[in-house]
Amino acid sequence: MTAECRRADAALASGEAAVLEATRRHAETCRRCAERLDAFDELSRAAASLRKGWDSPELWPKIRESLVRESFAPAAPGAQGERPPRTAPAWPAWIPIAAIATLFVVSFVGLQVFRPSLGDRQIFGVRSLPKDPLLTDVALQDVEKSEREYVRSIENLARVAQPRLAAAETPLLLSYRERLLLLDSAIAELNGQIEQNRYNTHLRRQLLGVYAEKQQTLREVMKGATS
Amino acid sequence: MHAPRMKSIALNLLGNVADAEDAVQEAFLKIYRGAKTFRGDAAFSTWIYRVVVNTCYDALRRRKARPAGATLEANDGREIPPPSPVSDHPLRLALEKSVARLNPKHRAVFLLFEVEGFTHGEIARILGIPEGTSKTFLFVAKKKLQRWLAAPSPAAPRTAAP
Repeated sequence: MTAECRRADAALASGEAAVLEATRRHAETCRRCAERLDAFDELSRAAASLRKGWDSPELWPKIRESLVRESFAPAAPGAQGERPPRTAPAWPAWIPIAAIATLFVVSFVGLQVFRPSLGDRQIFGVRSLPKDPLLTDVALQDVEKSEREYVRSIENLARVAQPRLAAAETPLLLSYRERLLLLDSAIAELNGQIEQNRYNTHLRRQLLGVYAEKQQTLREVMKGATS
Repeated sequence: MHAPRMKSIALNLLGNVADAEDAVQEAFLKIYRGAKTFRGDAAFSTWIYRVVVNTCYDALRRRKARPAGATLEANDGREIPPPSPVSDHPLRLALEKSVARLNPKHRAVFLLFEVEGFTHGEIARILGIPEGTSKTFLFVAKKKLQRWLAAPSPAAPRTAAP
C-alpha cells in the first residue's frame, strides 16, 4: 500500500472532484484502490434504485381535509420550531353563535314591542280572554243591553220627529233630514262590522258616537219645531 | 413538484408506505402552517425537505414507543411498484435492508445525496449540519454499507436437502 492508497479514503471522504480525479488516476495502476472505487461507484448506482414512487390517491384528499378542518380549529402547537404558533382566529366558528344570539335578542325585543298592540291574542298559541279594547262575554251582555235601551230611546225620538221631517220644506229641515239619512247609513255600516266582531269596543264607541249625533240632530229638529 | 421527492424520502427513512404517507401529510400541514411566516432566510425547497426529514425523525422516535410487531414491511396492504429501470439491480434489496440499519443521520445523508441527488450544501441546510459533516457522514455510510454488503448475510435461509 502506497501513500496514494492511504490517501484514497481521505479522497473519498472529501468528495472533492479534483481529489477524486487524482485517486482515479492512481486506481488505474492500483488494483486494490480500483476495486474500492468500483465498489463505491456500484453503491451509488444501486442507490439510485432506492428512489421510490407510488400512487397515493387518498393522500391529497386527506391533506385537503386536514387543512380545511384545521382552518376551523384553534391554532395547533408549533412545527418543530420551523414556524411560530399560528395565531389566525377561527372566525367562522363564532358566526353561528352570534347569529343565534342576535336572533334571540331581536325576537325578545320584538315580542316586547309588539305585545301591547297584539293584546292577549294567541301570541304563544294560547288563547287568553280578551281585555280592553275587547270585551268579555259578561261585559258584552251589559253593554249590548245598555245599547239596546239607548237605541230604543233614540228610535222613539226619531218616530216623533218623523212627521216633521217628512214634511220638510225649509232648507234647514231638508239638511237635517239628509244628515239623519247619512247617520242611519253609518249606523247600518257599523252594525255590520260589529256583527263580525262583537268584542270590538272601538266599533261600539263609534256606533254610540253616531247614535249620539243622531240624538242631537233629532233634538235640534224637535227644537226647531217647538220654536 | 416536490411531493414525489418528499414521499420517496419519507419512505426510505421510515421503511413503509403507511408511515411515509402519514409523515408526508403531517409535513404538508406543518409547511402550510409555517408558509405564512417563512422568513426566506433559506431556499423554500430546502426548508420543506427539512420539515419532511424532521417529521420522519419524530415518527421514528414515536415508533420506538410502539409495541413490538410493527414491521418495516407493514405497507398497509399497498404495493410499491418498481421505482426505476434499474430496480432489478442485484444490490437493490440487500442495499435497502442495509440502509435501514444505518444510523438515522448517516441514513439521511446517504439517501439525500445518493438517492435524491441533493448537494452537500443543500443537505447541510436541510439537516442543519456543516457541509463537511455531510461529506463525512456520506463516506461513513458508504463504508458501512460496503462492509455489510460484502459480508455473508447472517440471516440467509438454508434450504433443507431433499
